[in-house]
Amino acid sequence: MLQDLLSVNLSIPFWLSSPSPLYEFIAIVLYVIIVSIIFSVFGYVMGWLERKLIARAQYRHGPTYVGMWGIFQNMADLIKLLSKRDVIPQRADRVLFAVSLPLLLALSIFVILLLPYSPGLQATSLGFGMLIVFTIIAFLPLLLFTAGFSSGNKFSGISAQRSVLILLSYEIPTLLVIASVGLMANGYNLQSIVSGQHIYYALLMPIGFIVFFIAMLAEFERPPFDLREADSELIAGWLTDVSAPYYALALFLDYARMFLGSVLIAILFLGGWSGPAILPPLFWLILKAFIIAIFVIMVRATAFRMRADRVLRFGWAWLIPLALINLVITYLVFVG
Amino acid sequence: MSVTRINVGPIHPSTHGVIRLVVDVDGDTIVNVEPHAGFLHRGVEKLAETRMYMQIPPYTEKLDYVAPMSYDEAYVAAVEAAMGIEVNEKAKYVRTVLLELQRIASHLLGLGTLCNDIGQMFTVFMWTFKDRDIVLDLLQEATGSRMFYVNMRLGGMHAELPPDFAEHAYNTMNYIEKRVSQYETYVEKNTAFMERMRGIGVLSSEDAKALGVAGPVLRASGVNYDARKHSPYYMYDKFHFNPKVMLTGDNFARYKVRMLEMKESVRIVKAALKAMPEGSCLGMPVKLRSPNPVNRTVSVSRELPRGECMMYLVADPQKPYRLSIRSPNMVNLAAIGHIAKGARFADLFGILGTLDIIMGCVDR
Repeated sequence: MLQDLLSVNLSIPFWLSSPSPLYEFIAIVLYVIIVSIIFSVFGYVMGWLERKLIARAQYRHGPTYVGMWGIFQNMADLIKLLSKRDVIPQRADRVLFAVSLPLLLALSIFVILLLPYSPGLQATSLGFGMLIVFTIIAFLPLLLFTAGFSSGNKFSGISAQRSVLILLSYEIPTLLVIASVGLMANGYNLQSIVSGQHIYYALLMPIGFIVFFIAMLAEFERPPFDLREADSELIAGWLTDVSAPYYALALFLDYARMFLGSVLIAILFLGGWSGPAILPPLFWLILKAFIIAIFVIMVRATAFRMRADRVLRFGWAWLIPLALINLVITYLVFVG
Repeated sequence: MSVTRINVGPIHPSTHGVIRLVVDVDGDTIVNVEPHAGFLHRGVEKLAETRMYMQIPPYTEKLDYVAPMSYDEAYVAAVEAAMGIEVNEKAKYVRTVLLELQRIASHLLGLGTLCNDIGQMFTVFMWTFKDRDIVLDLLQEATGSRMFYVNMRLGGMHAELPPDFAEHAYNTMNYIEKRVSQYETYVEKNTAFMERMRGIGVLSSEDAKALGVAGPVLRASGVNYDARKHSPYYMYDKFHFNPKVMLTGDNFARYKVRMLEMKESVRIVKAALKAMPEGSCLGMPVKLRSPNPVNRTVSVSRELPRGECMMYLVADPQKPYRLSIRSPNMVNLAAIGHIAKGARFADLFGILGTLDIIMGCVDR
């Protein structure tokens, strides 16, 4: 694993040869550290890029003062948020309020660690890896629900209700699309899904790709489905009463989820780490995720937020039928 | 289902100033909305009783901080009527041009905040804001200020227009006309926008009349009334202009009336610039003593960007005895309880955005 990762031939001492327990331990720790670095850097760059790109779309400059092109603005914001006092409202359920946001972040990072990043950089090679990933992702809206209700704020309460609504509208199409991906790849192993993509699944199943992209937007609270956080209606939705350090966590969570969604789309539909061999496979995966994330940001710059009842209608009237059609076509054309 | 009472404001991202709405929601449906105004009360009407006539325009301007010149003009027109001062011929044209420019600037901002309210955070807003700045550049050329102008004098203006103003204004109007069409296509082709506009927040024409709403809100409900047309002042009757009326009375109609009005304003500005006579537009310089009023009570009606405003002035020598302002925003805000009943909670802010209220004017 180490050799693959660094793309150089390390002269590994005998006690680090692969079957030894020390090797396993170091490999696990290194894996966690490397993936954390990847997603933190990705999240940080996306956070900065989102500000800059949105600013460009809006005739603004975005951050300019802290560092070159304002690159350290997010760092400054983080320091500001961490140095402020955290206030837990009196009416809030203290335990749930304090636990749900860190738990959300922890679960998101857990899913991020479960994903494969290149042939050499992956945690597990389970046959049902993708199912585990999506099972955990399905828990996130429930945690948003508890986070919303635990603060005792009415705006957060409405946001929590909307969270359930989104869960109802987008989980089913997501699972249907996953099923068709599983059909194509003959299983739910993420590695074999990637290696099976001689032609990208986005080209073989364009409908499924679009449905999955929209569902991921909704899943991870990106506009136009940001109705849980709807600034102009619900102040900040489930984050209304969340103050300084927790809010920093929430921002972190935003980009963790963005990374998760982009990498998932890249793995399931855009061939994951496959690409010309001149650059390491990890680079191709991150590049694809990066392009998807930029697209997601541009959607935010242009789309109007959807209303809650409309989201439900859209999910059931369009996405579920489309996902079903995609499943049937996939079965008939590629399997049957 | 039980009814939940939600307190929107006074601090809320999309309340257009400091307003508190007490909203009763049954699930996601609004049962009742009760606006609470008064957070910005400055007592302008009472303040006016303690000031000399030409010391008051800076106060009236701050009533509507998005279209200050319109209020400036409405007040000065009331004083002119009380003193029996005739506005000189060129000043009439100049005022028409400037007021219409102010209307365009105000409606552009209205469109931007509306898009913010229904969840397109800041893209349309920043675009319209940029175009508004271009219009404000023109106003700055003419008056020297970008926001609070105080450029009306009794019988005319405080200064002549700069020599190349007409040309600049003409170019800007062409640009604005193009941009307004672009905005229309941009937002009206967006189904998410139209879903939150069409058929939402319907105000029938009977209700509109009964509630006494004003301006674009009234005309969107199919009532053909525009003070510029029905009690014409300055040069409005010369330019064959028609009030823009929509029949549906929903959010979309209120938005569309403003877009159409912008185009009409562009036309009026162009026509007025073309027909502008030679001569001076200067009014009386501001002196401590002003002429004594000849009419004790006057009332002047003006079509501001947000609706018809009435200035009721009881004139004493040198000072108003009483200045009473009928604010179009106040009546439009008061109608929100009626309009928003039965709408979704998320649409409350769309409705608030199409009413386009300015709290400085509501609270006075």
